[in-house]
Amino acid sequence: MVAPGSRGEVALFVTCLVDLMRPSIAFSALKLIEAAGYVAVVPEAQTCCGQPGYNSGDTAAARALARKFIAEFERFPYIVAPSGSCAGTVRTHYPDLFANEPEWRARAEALAAKTFELTQFLVDVAGVTEVPGDFSGSVTYHDSCSGLRELGVKQQPRTLLDRMPGVKRIEMRECEECCGFGGLFSVKYPDISGAIVQRKCDAIRGSGAYAVALGDLGCMMNIEGRLRRNGDELTQVIHIAELLAGDVGGQG
Amino acid sequence: MSVRDDILGRLRRQLGRTDSTTLAARERVEATLALRQTGPRAAADALLDRFIERARAMISSVDRCATEAEVPAHCADWLRGHGLPTTVVVVPALAALDWAGAGLEARVGAATGDDLVGVTGCFRAIAETGTLMLCSGPQSPAVNSLLPETHIAVVPRQHIVADMEAAWAEARRELSAWPRAVNFVSGPSRTADIEQTIVLGAHGPYRVHLLIVG
Amino acid sequence: MHFVSRVRQRLDDPELQRNLKRTRGRNAASRAAAVAAFPDFDAVRARATEIRASVLRDLDVWLERFEQKAIERGATVLWARDGDHACDLIIDIARRHGVRTVVKSKSMVSEEAGLNAALEAAGIRPVETDLGEYILQINDNEPPSHIIMPVIHKSKEQVSELFARVHGTAPKTDIEELTHEARAVLRPEFLGADMGLSGGNFLVAETGSVAIVTNEGNGRLCTTLPRVHVALTGIEKVIPTLEDLATLLRILPRSATGQAITNYVSMLTGPKQAGDADGPEHMYFVLVDGGRADLLGSEFEAMLRCIRCGACMNHCPVYQTIGGHSYGWVYPGPMGSVLTPLYQGLDKAMDLPHAATLCNQCGVVCPVSIPLPELMRTLREKQVERGLRPWSERIATKLWAWVAARPTLYALGTRVAVRYLRWLADGRDRIQVMGVAPGWTAQRDFPAPAAKTFRELYAERRRGGGQ
Ligand code: SF4
Repeated sequence: MVAPGSRGEVALFVTCLVDLMRPSIAFSALKLIEAAGYVAVVPEAQTCCGQPGYNSGDTAAARALARKFIAEFERFPYIVAPSGSCAGTVRTHYPDLFANEPEWRARAEALAAKTFELTQFLVDVAGVTEVPGDFSGSVTYHDSCSGLRELGVKQQPRTLLDRMPGVKRIEMRECEECCGFGGLFSVKYPDISGAIVQRKCDAIRGSGAYAVALGDLGCMMNIEGRLRRNGDELTQVIHIAELLAGDVGGQG
Repeated sequence: MSVRDDILGRLRRQLGRTDSTTLAARERVEATLALRQTGPRAAADALLDRFIERARAMISSVDRCATEAEVPAHCADWLRGHGLPTTVVVVPALAALDWAGAGLEARVGAATGDDLVGVTGCFRAIAETGTLMLCSGPQSPAVNSLLPETHIAVVPRQHIVADMEAAWAEARRELSAWPRAVNFVSGPSRTADIEQTIVLGAHGPYRVHLLIVG
Repeated sequence: MHFVSRVRQRLDDPELQRNLKRTRGRNAASRAAAVAAFPDFDAVRARATEIRASVLRDLDVWLERFEQKAIERGATVLWARDGDHACDLIIDIARRHGVRTVVKSKSMVSEEAGLNAALEAAGIRPVETDLGEYILQINDNEPPSHIIMPVIHKSKEQVSELFARVHGTAPKTDIEELTHEARAVLRPEFLGADMGLSGGNFLVAETGSVAIVTNEGNGRLCTTLPRVHVALTGIEKVIPTLEDLATLLRILPRSATGQAITNYVSMLTGPKQAGDADGPEHMYFVLVDGGRADLLGSEFEAMLRCIRCGACMNHCPVYQTIGGHSYGWVYPGPMGSVLTPLYQGLDKAMDLPHAATLCNQCGVVCPVSIPLPELMRTLREKQVERGLRPWSERIATKLWAWVAARPTLYALGTRVAVRYLRWLADGRDRIQVMGVAPGWTAQRDFPAPAAKTFRELYAERRRGGGQ
């Protein structure tokens, strides 16, 4: 067990969606970072990483927010987000935004190198082997696209789940398939998005798991919203941070 | 300006070509052609075993015999054993074998739409994928492995090479004129266009039988 | 018809949805098995990418080199500005040689050019011989819905009904019998045709040859029996050497169908030679630009590496949901969402670059490492730059960015937003109809937010009030 706070500072990027919709995820993330022996800091002026603008093709808007983000976070040794897609934006897309501005590009690259998705940080950087929470029930993990394919988040959440004695981990079929969220895609092309998330819901229900855990709130809202619309009030949709921190109730 | 020159001109503009970069490009192209860099290649051991295994995986049937003189009798047995016709069309390269002696009615030449069994040799055979490499020419018309419903190929054991790269190297070395058609054949013709269900004999042979000699 | 209506139609077509479901995931699974059985896959992919990228760096010189070799071997090399021009050239060739019937093996460039319609209008009869393409042709020239499995959207019952109607035969639903019926119909066409038209998977500069991969053998028949062979391809298809062909052939079939190799790979070099018993007397290459030259040296250059394997669509959640016809032009799936706006015009395909979740399944499986989601995003950027997006959307992203750059205003905005959403939820844990994002609630509930933003709660906690 490392002494509390002995491992230096970690800045939490809350993400705009968590700030707005599910603050508890950020509190769980703070708990996990602190339990790993770090001092968790929440830079106050943070807002959004710029991903919505970036994916809409408004590069100027995305660049402005990226500058703001870099300036706020670059003084920390680590930056952690409870989201694969926001961490992915910083890690893989920020440097591209500044292709023609060498100075900003260097800053973006330096920042990218120390930015992590939460479970990636806990396992790969902090070397965590114990998590504070306990949870009893069967859990299936959905691999959100950006976390999986931009950051290589695959084993980390599973490793941590397997550390929880009460968790019975089940793999759903096609766990790496997109849930059909895609940010604004879900609103612009609801029919397509709805058909894709339906398949994801079928896979989750097919696994028989009590809960589906995942690392991105956008995908979570999409999946939870569709399950509930389908009349499924039972399948729990849980952010991996809340599950690992012990901030959600389990099965019975 | 011709369309050719227009297209090439636009390519050069897009690439921002100057006289000196064009010259450098020509040098790069010649160097690439001279170097013939290979990518990751197949293993070069156990060629015979691998060839047989892969050929069967591609749904070719495989048989062996000791000498070339035994080929006609083997073909005859195999055809009879499968209830197939014993009238065959043989490529000129194999004309010297005693087909009639084995009870086969053989015609030497290029296959037509009416021939049911075609017998060919092969330039090389590729262990990596169980593939025949057939070079067209006066001695080996391409149609003989294509039009008949049954294709029998004679594969001299020493012609089995590791991979396509090895086969190309031997073609460059051995062939005085580059053949019009080089066909790589891996088993019978097939399609999966309807409901992704594989059916053999789409347009070419329904069956391919390989007879390894030696 | 507009993209969204095309999609709606496809989603509401139970037969199509059944057909899509039947094959969904099958090709992806075959590819995954092939990759697992081939330890060198990643290394070959890297080399394949490098080969294609290096050709593009010197495409002008490689094309000249290819042309020179092809001419030395007695072929005629023609250059086409675009699809229409390619049709004109091919009709000219046909007239010069007194051609009445053309047997065709699969060529996506022919689809781009609308060659069949042009040939028919010129009184020349085209006969598609790839089983899938043949089915489409006799079904009133229906367009393909996949670049290598053109009738993936059809069931055997649909094929059966079509064959019975067109061939006047008894209906049969055995797939083997259907396939052999088509074989019997097409065999005389091969034997009687005056001209064979093929596509080309690769043009080999070293030898001046075209390489064609097929499973059915129709490509071989089209290029061996008729008097005239025309190979119709895009100008980007050149590769340097036979060694490069060997490398690319390790990755193309595995990516496409999971095969270690296709049944036939044919390398054709010039017309029939002295003493040859078979082969065409005349061989032509028609090399089509059709928008390709403009991509060279641009941010879309990587797209020219494409080897038309279809892996991107086989792994695309959107393609697997809406089918190939929804995309509106010959190329569907992720590669189509990039190529269609580039070849047909940015404003002609406004939806395609947006109708993607950017999940990057396609980018991960592409055998030549084309960053397809990145290219789609860049196309979105071009739409914004050219002012093609609706004003409401432009204002919304601008406003969002403007507010997000001002933390105090942002904090206020989110506080208001949370309260508004809570009011909409009206005491429940979800919102079922939401005016600001009707698209969301048309398909799913919108989970209600917590009572306060993180920012508020965190401030309370710091003041000792919270948690
Ligand atoms: S873009 Fe890549 S995956 Fe898609 S067809 Fe082309 S080569 Fe294949």
